[in-house]
Amino acid sequence: MIRYIASLGRGTLEALSALGRAAMFLAQSAVGVPSREGWHLWLRQMHFIGVMSLAIVLVSGLFIGMVLGLQGYTILVGFGAEDALGQMVALSLLRELAPVVAALLFAGRAGSALTAEIGLMKATEQLTSMEMIGIDPLRRIVAPRLWAGFISMPLLTVGFSVVGIWGGYLVGVQWLGVFDGSYWSNMQSSVAFVDDILNGMLKSVVFGLVVTWIAVFQGYDLIPTSEGISRATTRTVVYSSLAVLGLDFVLTALMFGELG
Amino acid sequence: MFDNYRDVDERYVTDTTLVDVEGLHFSLGENDIFRGVDLRIPKGKITAVMGPSGTGKTTLLKLIGGQLVPDAGRICIDGQDVHRLPRRALFRLRRRMGMLFQSGALFSDLSVFENVAFPLRVHTDLPEAMVRDIVLMKLQAVGLRGARNLSPAELSGGMARRVALARAVALDPELVLYDEPFVGQDPISMGVLVQLIKTVNQALGLTAVIVSHDIKETLSIADYVYIIADGQVMAHGTPQTLDVNRDARVKQFVHGEPDGPVPFHYPAPEFYRDILSTKGERT
Repeated sequence: MIRYIASLGRGTLEALSALGRAAMFLAQSAVGVPSREGWHLWLRQMHFIGVMSLAIVLVSGLFIGMVLGLQGYTILVGFGAEDALGQMVALSLLRELAPVVAALLFAGRAGSALTAEIGLMKATEQLTSMEMIGIDPLRRIVAPRLWAGFISMPLLTVGFSVVGIWGGYLVGVQWLGVFDGSYWSNMQSSVAFVDDILNGMLKSVVFGLVVTWIAVFQGYDLIPTSEGISRATTRTVVYSSLAVLGLDFVLTALMFGELG
Repeated sequence: MFDNYRDVDERYVTDTTLVDVEGLHFSLGENDIFRGVDLRIPKGKITAVMGPSGTGKTTLLKLIGGQLVPDAGRICIDGQDVHRLPRRALFRLRRRMGMLFQSGALFSDLSVFENVAFPLRVHTDLPEAMVRDIVLMKLQAVGLRGARNLSPAELSGGMARRVALARAVALDPELVLYDEPFVGQDPISMGVLVQLIKTVNQALGLTAVIVSHDIKETLSIADYVYIIADGQVMAHGTPQTLDVNRDARVKQFVHGEPDGPVPFHYPAPEFYRDILSTKGERT
């Protein structure tokens, strides 16, 4: 019993100390905002983290939009309300699916790669040698990746939403025969810029920050062995996914809670 | 000379000592690595730190570089207590140091040329033509000018270490820390490296700390030697005095004798008991 309490205490202390390290890490690296000299480093990371994730995010967005169109139609047609398909597809995507699914894909594609890359740099002493050359790796290596993640995530979410809405249109209007005037006009009249679009974007900004933070911290803080890298990569995906889903509930409750 | 006078503790500024290690205690987990180590690294000289594997020689370099923090004691470089400096001041101090890592630690996303140019690009505003000249001079010195366009993945271990050496001295630092510079070198490049470290030290007046257990090569160029064992300085002196030292442990190490007071085996139960034991190893 005593041993159980002791291990619980030790676990809590370790978790708190990791949280403290992660917070210090974020504070020290986030000050390395993209500068003129660091422009090319930031641009390269935007390409790797943002542009290279575009394909998986857009293709997934298209399929999710198509499924929404199909499922929405089969439900709505029972009530004779298939004209509301545009509104259903758009609201589901903008408020929930686009920020959440894009963030989960981002964690799997870019997050795991960031952890492995920084982890391997640590294992091969590249970070240490950079420190010894007098360059702070938090500014040179971590900051450009962190900022690229913050900025890419909302942009990827926009792409996901646009392609998803188009996917719903393809299935609902082109294939199942919903009147395209009602698809678009219902969407236009029901989607509010601040409540739906901005709130969804705000979610994606928070998810971008959290996922990139977890990914780079796990890479920087790992035990520099092959097993350490593999564990940290797994942790990035697991922690990011849980954080995204948990935070989504909290943010949804704050943003839309009073509507119910 | 100093980047920030406020960081300087006058008591530790002397004309002859660049690095002053005083009462150093350091442990990793439950292992005591250092238990009260005192070292003085004189300016403009080559000081070797030697000792059996696992005595924390690399750890000592990391403590000098400020990457690890001691449990007790202090390390002063030019009067500045490395572990009391704020982060920015520590990075300024590190610009005056070069370190050669055991693995080379070259940046894998940059070519050989760019690796050597890296410290010049980030710390100086030199025109591109001058950066090119300096990099080619450093690469010529280590015999790898022709390999400038290769990526680190295309180099052998020994070549990577030579490129890393060129990078470590690119900014002509005051203090160069060499971590096992001779491991994995073929006889030709070994001779060149030994000569190179000596020449660089003499020509530029650099202070060098070499951590190594290649006794012959290290003793041939070192001005002063510290031998560390069991977390403490076992002996120190010039190579000549160590060569005639009568302490059994020093003799065993300096002359490379397999049997002696320093055990070859990691602590273990008696061999025959271990072999005859029927207990499985799986835990």
